[in-house]
Amino acid sequence: MTVAAVASLIVGITIGFVGQRSRMCFVGGIRDWILVRDTFLLKGLIAFILVAWVAFPLAPLVGGEALGGFGTPIVSAVVLTALGGFGVGWVSILANGCPFRQHVLAAQGTGGSMVYLAGFFTGAVMFHTWVSPFVLELI
Amino acid sequence: MSGLQAGIVMAIAAVAAGSLFEVRPPDAYGICMACHGRDLTNWVVNDVTGWRLTVAPASMVFPLLTVVGVLIGAWIAAVISGEFRFRKPSKPVQNFLYGVLVMNFGLLAAGCSTRLALRVGAGDPLGVIGFGAMVGGIVLATFWIRRQALR
Repeated sequence: MTVAAVASLIVGITIGFVGQRSRMCFVGGIRDWILVRDTFLLKGLIAFILVAWVAFPLAPLVGGEALGGFGTPIVSAVVLTALGGFGVGWVSILANGCPFRQHVLAAQGTGGSMVYLAGFFTGAVMFHTWVSPFVLELI
Repeated sequence: MSGLQAGIVMAIAAVAAGSLFEVRPPDAYGICMACHGRDLTNWVVNDVTGWRLTVAPASMVFPLLTVVGVLIGAWIAAVISGEFRFRKPSKPVQNFLYGVLVMNFGLLAAGCSTRLALRVGAGDPLGVIGFGAMVGGIVLATFWIRRQALR
């Protein structure tokens, strides 16, 4: 378990560095393409998905664990995931960047993103204190 | 560095973390700014207050430090390239609310935009649904902000 913590720290430093140099954003690609037909970030998003798609089956060949397999999702999970996904997309556009991009911006001194992160982590506690029990009550 | 190169590096890092370095369960958990941020925040809150807020199995004993890593990595890159500059927030209340909302929606979908994309790569049907909905949200919101800007 400590392996995971150390690995995630190293992965974080790597992707943070790469993300700052490339201005990578996971929602910005689609936005830029719609607004000005710019494909710089969109290529990154597509490459991310394709490389992950190829790499997941390859990982067991070099000693990694295979994916456990995904069952057929239940209706309530589909509805909640769709609602959550829509909200992430919508609000991320209003906030001018996906959560990853906001972390990078905060680290390079953008005050707005620092405040965003404060809300982000407050939101985590809020979700598990109020929102999650409320949603479980509903379904 | 181009977006394309960044996408490739990040995908390899995400798959390696999840498959080779125990950043699991759940599956396809290599990079997620929302879930890993949740794990870190809740782990610290639990430790300080003795509450029992939800933490993913991968973060039970010690929390994932992706968030800390990204901040350090991006800060190093910004300092090296001379791009570090403090800018005062222009709309702090609005930014704070956006953060709260994105975290809540992200946890509802079990993934921020990065992990939703990663789950599509892993072939998770729920991930595909969440990613599709996210693209819908992005497209509508983009047309919305363009309409606002042109008025």
